[in-house]
Amino acid sequence: MSKEEKKPFSQTMAEWRQFVYNPRSGEFLGRTAKSWGLILLFYLVFYGFLAALFTFTMWVMLQTLSGDIPKYRDRIRSPGLMISPKPVTALEFYFNKSDSQSYAEYVSTLKQFLKSYDDSKQSKNIACTAGKLFEQNEDRAIKQACQFNRTKLGSCSGVEDDTFGYAKGTPCVLVKMNRIIGLKPEGEPHIECLPKEEGKVQITYFPDGGMIDLMYFPYYGKKLHADYLQPLVAVQLAIISNRTKEEVTIECKIMGSPNLKNEDDRDKFLGRISFKIQMSE
Amino acid sequence: MKKERKAKFQVSNMKSGLTSARAAEILARDGPNALTPPKSTPEIIKFLKQMVGGFSILLWVGALLCWIAFGIQVAQGVASAFDNLYLGVVLALVVILTGIFAYYQEAKSTNIMASFSKMIPQQALVIRDGEKREVSAEQLVVGDMVEIKGGDRIPADIRLIFAQGCKVDNSSLTGESEPQSRSCDFTHENPLETKNIAFYSTTCLEGTATGMVINTGDQTIIGRIASLASGVGNEKTPIAIEIEHFVHIVAGVAVSIGVLFFIIAVSMKYKVLDSIIFLIGIIVANVPEGLLATVTVSLSLTAKRMAKKNCLVKNLEAVETLGSTSIICSDKTGTLTQNRMTVAHLWFDDQIYSADTSEEQTTQSFDQSSQSWAALSKVVTLCNRAEFKPGQENVPIMKRVVVGDASETALLKFAEVILGDVMGIRKRNRKLAEIPFNSTNKFQLSIHETEDPNDKRFLMVMKGAPERILERCSTIMINGEEQPLDRERAEAFQTAYMELGGLGERVLGFCHLYLPEDEFPDTYPFDTDSMNFPTSNLCFVGLLSMIDPPRSTVPDAVSKCRSAGIKVIMVTGDHPITAKAIAKSVGIISANSETVEDIAKRLNVPVEQVNKEDARAAVINGMELKDMTTEQLDEILINHSEIVFARTSPQQKLIIVEGCQRQDAVVAVTGDGVNDSPALKKADIGIAMGIAGSDAAKNAADMILLDDNFASIVTGVEEGRLIFDNLKKTIAYTLTKNIAELCPFLIYIIASVPLPIGTITILFIDLGTDIIPSVALAYEKAESDIMNRRPRHKKKDRLVNEQLAVYSYLQIGIIQSIGAFLAYFTVYAEQGWLPNTLLGLRVNWEDDYYNDIEDSYGQEWTRYQRTYLQWTGYTAFFVSITIQQVADLIIRKTRRNSIFQQGLLRNKVIWVGIVSQIAIALILSYGLGSVTALNFTPLRVQYWFVAMPYAILIWVYDEIRKLFIRQYPGSWWDKNMYY
Repeated sequence: MSKEEKKPFSQTMAEWRQFVYNPRSGEFLGRTAKSWGLILLFYLVFYGFLAALFTFTMWVMLQTLSGDIPKYRDRIRSPGLMISPKPVTALEFYFNKSDSQSYAEYVSTLKQFLKSYDDSKQSKNIACTAGKLFEQNEDRAIKQACQFNRTKLGSCSGVEDDTFGYAKGTPCVLVKMNRIIGLKPEGEPHIECLPKEEGKVQITYFPDGGMIDLMYFPYYGKKLHADYLQPLVAVQLAIISNRTKEEVTIECKIMGSPNLKNEDDRDKFLGRISFKIQMSE
Repeated sequence: MKKERKAKFQVSNMKSGLTSARAAEILARDGPNALTPPKSTPEIIKFLKQMVGGFSILLWVGALLCWIAFGIQVAQGVASAFDNLYLGVVLALVVILTGIFAYYQEAKSTNIMASFSKMIPQQALVIRDGEKREVSAEQLVVGDMVEIKGGDRIPADIRLIFAQGCKVDNSSLTGESEPQSRSCDFTHENPLETKNIAFYSTTCLEGTATGMVINTGDQTIIGRIASLASGVGNEKTPIAIEIEHFVHIVAGVAVSIGVLFFIIAVSMKYKVLDSIIFLIGIIVANVPEGLLATVTVSLSLTAKRMAKKNCLVKNLEAVETLGSTSIICSDKTGTLTQNRMTVAHLWFDDQIYSADTSEEQTTQSFDQSSQSWAALSKVVTLCNRAEFKPGQENVPIMKRVVVGDASETALLKFAEVILGDVMGIRKRNRKLAEIPFNSTNKFQLSIHETEDPNDKRFLMVMKGAPERILERCSTIMINGEEQPLDRERAEAFQTAYMELGGLGERVLGFCHLYLPEDEFPDTYPFDTDSMNFPTSNLCFVGLLSMIDPPRSTVPDAVSKCRSAGIKVIMVTGDHPITAKAIAKSVGIISANSETVEDIAKRLNVPVEQVNKEDARAAVINGMELKDMTTEQLDEILINHSEIVFARTSPQQKLIIVEGCQRQDAVVAVTGDGVNDSPALKKADIGIAMGIAGSDAAKNAADMILLDDNFASIVTGVEEGRLIFDNLKKTIAYTLTKNIAELCPFLIYIIASVPLPIGTITILFIDLGTDIIPSVALAYEKAESDIMNRRPRHKKKDRLVNEQLAVYSYLQIGIIQSIGAFLAYFTVYAEQGWLPNTLLGLRVNWEDDYYNDIEDSYGQEWTRYQRTYLQWTGYTAFFVSITIQQVADLIIRKTRRNSIFQQGLLRNKVIWVGIVSQIAIALILSYGLGSVTALNFTPLRVQYWFVAMPYAILIWVYDEIRKLFIRQYPGSWWDKNMYY
């Protein structure tokens, strides 16, 4: 093997040009037009076949699924907790009670969220028996939903105070439990919120005791249970503070139900949620 | 130099030698008497080279990007920042571990070599403190008095002070194959020419000598040559070039796809940091992390297999070089031949008889009934000084050790085979007088009593150069009768002599005379000095010719080379006639080929008038070669397919090798002498002889032929070609799944779906499930007779060619990706996330604070619940790739034949591979599914089978591909689909 010699640059360039288009053999990038045509045709057929096969196998797979409920629900055995409004960044509320601009976002989110709870929207819903699971017959195509009136949220309902307490320095936060099809809570589930620093916040729950009524369960899925309204718990926080800027961390948990987990090591939102509020004047 | 020696001479007392104390002093000053091994690269440099070679750079970049991303994310307070830190650490670990592995493999093969050269510790007989003692040759110092005798290796450069019949074999140093006599006389200014110096590492053939050590270790002549040889550059092996080429391709693909998608991601308004993380994923997916280690293992497996077949490979990469060899320049003596004289032909009763020359002869089958044979056999037996060393009664005759020169040994063994108990015959025919062979007489003579007690005559027997013997004869024995030696008979003798000489054989004539009883009574005092007995008018008995016959396995091996498209060139120091005869008998020159000289002779025209292109064969003399220009040499190498270089010096070997390399050939060269080492180094693969080879040759070589047999080279070639084919399969297998690892990232970026497979998971495929199967392909048997095709063209037949890359990447790889995506979509859909919901979901999906994302059925998921589902997706994707890799493994068993032609069960290691693959996947999913860091989850049983249709498709499609290739050779399909 002879030592590799450095080719002059012009030769390298010429070789490249030759590769891109070779006028003698009519080759373009190493293939003639016919050869390119054949290879493209081959791949067209090949990928066309694969696309068809993929579509077909996907279709077969989707055929095995029901449109009403997912095949498996083992990845969501227990619901998570979430709040509304949800600050854009981390779960940290910053607002100035005398500056309506600073909380306008929260207020509009809440209004938007509660719209579906308006009485006008609930005409189809029925009043269910409180304290009992509302199980409906299998053969019923459309499941009925129980009424959840905004008035249950008291001063957080936005009916009397359309700033949801933000203007007064008693902001409302709605706590809701994630929807899971077929979930039947046991016992008397209720939301319990605790500030990290005791005595800094006075917490009021709506409905009383942060109760989540069993009549809103089970959920039958988006398709069957189109009118379903998930039960809400409003938490009104009266921040007792002498200083102008005070950050409080609140942790809410779902309590009183043995089958709703709230202390998972890895999932910080399973049956619990913690958020920060910093209010200035 | 001379003066220096004189000075040292006085230090040593010639009788009592050095004192131990003085010797120790000098030893401390000069160092041990051993050649410093060629300067090797420091271990740490070798190690570091492994750390940055191949794909390592790419992975280091990946690791670095990970740490940068980690740094930025920590500064931003992102919760998942540590994932990047760990990934970076894992990548660095992968590089370091594969580096350590490669380093270990290399060290191991170097160690085989080291142990090899240390096998025979040399001893020397030295006079110290006035007494003789055996010391290790390494302990010798300048001024030591050493004694040597026949059979010893000279332990250092020695100036002889006393010598008796001492002959040395300097062939390893100067290339002279004739033994050189040594005496105490200073005959020449040049130390290489003078008779009173014996050189380190040469052998003393016979006689005894005492001398003083004048140079030790690297100062010796051989030491100086050895250090010269290390100056000749080592060429990159073909497989190293191929692997580099392959790394370039893969790295090129990785970097360009990485950069392309980095740009796409940035222009799709992804954050730069996210884009960097994508880039890492793309690099990791593209780089076959385990492949280089697999290649190393495959090569070392083959090296082991070759060692069993007597090819000891020093440099792993040389394994494949042998396979791509297109020219073998072979020595004659010992490699093509048995390296011992053997009687090949006899002439008596006016007729030529052939003798058996094979390695394990036990009888001779020519007609032995003639009385002439009886007479001839007697002369052969008696007129011979060679003797078997005692105590070898149970050793086969051909293997017995004999004291005596090569021709006499041949005759002794020949007689022993036919007559048996030669020593007994000699005892019964007592020797009374003897004149040994010398160069002026050119004959050897002895006078014996006869074993017949009634016959009181003495028998005088004589052998020697045929023409000299004939001169002394007046009669010739025909069928046991003495007949006058008339002109006609003399001509018959001439014809026979010419014919045997023309076969390149060494011919000896034999004659005898029964001395008349009356003139030479019992008590007659024979005097060899005055020659008081007749030495003419003898009776001519016959001729015997001897040759160093070819090894019996060689002709077959040469014809294998021929059908494998390998040109065999003989390079020898021997006479052209002998060289040509051996070349013809082993097939290097085939039966019907002619040289220019042959044609000239046949047509009866001068050599110059012959058209050189008509001659297929050529016998080139070293003297001619000396005067040739490079163009003339090139012309010979191109025009003639059967070439013998005779009377060449080892230096000319280098010229021949360079000439072959100019023809773009991959050249293998055999050699044993020290002077061969430059040629061995220069060659693409230098092959040193394990038995006859000098240390310097072994050091310079890439491979050592343990049995010195040419045929072993051919088995080596076969293994080399097989491993090239199998490496192709291994690489094709490994590259395929890279697409299935890469596509998820591309889809993830473009369609913004949850990530289908994680970077760590990819590493578990590349370095976990895929490793054993890809090594298993190294055990695959050849698909067809690989020795029936031409050697691969260095520049055209690449290890990784366009077809291989395209077929693996764009066809099988794509099928695999689709199969894996089917599994991915199945897992998500069955948990509530239909494919259309997934599209564009990525940003919300990965938002740590978005804990109520709604799925297709209205359920809401927390971040962790989604992550866990994502890991289930990873596992399903991983399992699908694994299942499809099983199909990929099965199709890669063959490139052309149907899997059924190859047999599913012939390579059992493949099944070990498949079982290991599935077992590792099972362990990862079910055993380690609970270890969060690994991102595996226990998978529902049915997900293992989702990709199965695609696995079957891969297999069916490949069978169709192979069927078309077999059915339509040379077609468009063959050209584009055969890799």
